[in-house]
Amino acid sequence: MGSEMRSPLKVQGLSKYYPAFRLEDVSFELKPASITGFIGRNGAGKTTTINSMLSFVHPDSGEISFFGLPWAEHDREIKERLGFVSAGMTYYTRKKLKAITAVTKTFYPVWDDDAYRKYMSAFGLDGEKTPAELSNGMKIKYALALALSHGAELLILDEPTSGLDPVSREELVEVFLRLKDEGKTVFFSTHITSDLEKCADRILFLQRGRLKADDDLERFGDAWRIAECGGEIPAELKRAAHGKCRTKDGYTLLIRKEDAEGVTTREASLEEIMIHLEKEADEE
Amino acid sequence: MKMLMKEWKLCMHPTGYIMLLCAALILVPGYPYGVSCFYMGLAIYFICLTARENHDATYTLTLPVSRRGAVQARILFCALLEVTDLILMGVFILIKSLIGNMPNPAGLDAGVALIGEGMIIFAIFNMLFFPLYYRDINKPGKAFMAAAAAVFVWIVIEVVGTYTIPFLQDILDQPDPQHMSDKLLFTLGGLALFTGGTALSIQHSAKKFEEADLSL
Repeated sequence: MGSEMRSPLKVQGLSKYYPAFRLEDVSFELKPASITGFIGRNGAGKTTTINSMLSFVHPDSGEISFFGLPWAEHDREIKERLGFVSAGMTYYTRKKLKAITAVTKTFYPVWDDDAYRKYMSAFGLDGEKTPAELSNGMKIKYALALALSHGAELLILDEPTSGLDPVSREELVEVFLRLKDEGKTVFFSTHITSDLEKCADRILFLQRGRLKADDDLERFGDAWRIAECGGEIPAELKRAAHGKCRTKDGYTLLIRKEDAEGVTTREASLEEIMIHLEKEADEE
Repeated sequence: MKMLMKEWKLCMHPTGYIMLLCAALILVPGYPYGVSCFYMGLAIYFICLTARENHDATYTLTLPVSRRGAVQARILFCALLEVTDLILMGVFILIKSLIGNMPNPAGLDAGVALIGEGMIIFAIFNMLFFPLYYRDINKPGKAFMAAAAAVFVWIVIEVVGTYTIPFLQDILDQPDPQHMSDKLLFTLGGLALFTGGTALSIQHSAKKFEEADLSL
């Protein structure tokens, strides 16, 4: 099988132990030309997973391969086909974008100046500006422009939409969808689940260092229902509930679709599923 | 070469240029000239501090380069600055000899041996600063304090030694061209220590950096 057909990213049994946190046995695989959302509350281990994938930290166990190639022997080749964007991180804030680009392009044998100009123009970026002069959304777009100009096939984004206003988030979501149409694979972590509902094909839900769910977005959302209770919660609902949240009118309960027969329920949003499952974990 | 250019274009701190000018301190009478090398160490600290503030490690490690390559480039770039500083010191020593070189009461005279002394200072700095820095790149201050303390002690030994240690007092601290063969041997020894120490520093630092978990 040619490398083009291989999974852009395969993670098997990834574990990383810190004194106060354990990332345990995380495994997943990405499909080419897809958008995968990596969700979980702050501290769930999303950044640790990404840092382990990119070897910023050394995993205690597990295997990571990109495009069918193990990182350890092929890190340089992999990095040529990879783009990494972290929202909270801005490089060289006082240097002009054109200066950062001039240095960056020298490292990539397949750098495409036309593509760079195209993306800079499409994202409304000016090479004379410095990162310090850009909004958070524009900084991410600049990082994307760099990654796409060296032909990155897989884009890994750590919390790209956090801290952005709704309009900027919407713009980024549209960019992700356009990139998917161009055949790129997008993997992004976030705790703003509404962004994923607009663009993701697949959801990975990380909870306390463990992968709680790895599913198609539609199927994941369809597996759950929300029941609303005004006052006392009936015993059978209590038994079926996976997490309970207080609302101004009473409670909402997350229940599995198969347990919802005969109960008045509504569809659950991704955010509601995540919050209720976190509440359930807190109660445990 | 690409990595050296990246260090220059993106990581160079203005103090690097300013501290190179400190080589002109050779023209100041009665000054411990080894201190001008210490100033270059300060510039290197600022380069590493600026790198941290600009998330240079994350940027660099997403480029198609290895951790070892990143370490090599940074240390070689700093060593190039140090060599430039030594060359400038040589130029100012020459200028001073042309305008009249007075004996220096605060350490070695401005002469050939001073270049060897500068190389030893840089070797001490490189061997201590970089391995400590690459153990945790978020704490360049700790590494600098340790390296600066060692350099300070060495400069004190040198200054005091020009009054108390016969080899320093009677040979190295005598005006050029007296005892030139001994001074050249001392300078060659400094060169060996500088090149060997810097190479060792690269090896040791790269190992530390490869082992480190980066909190970016």
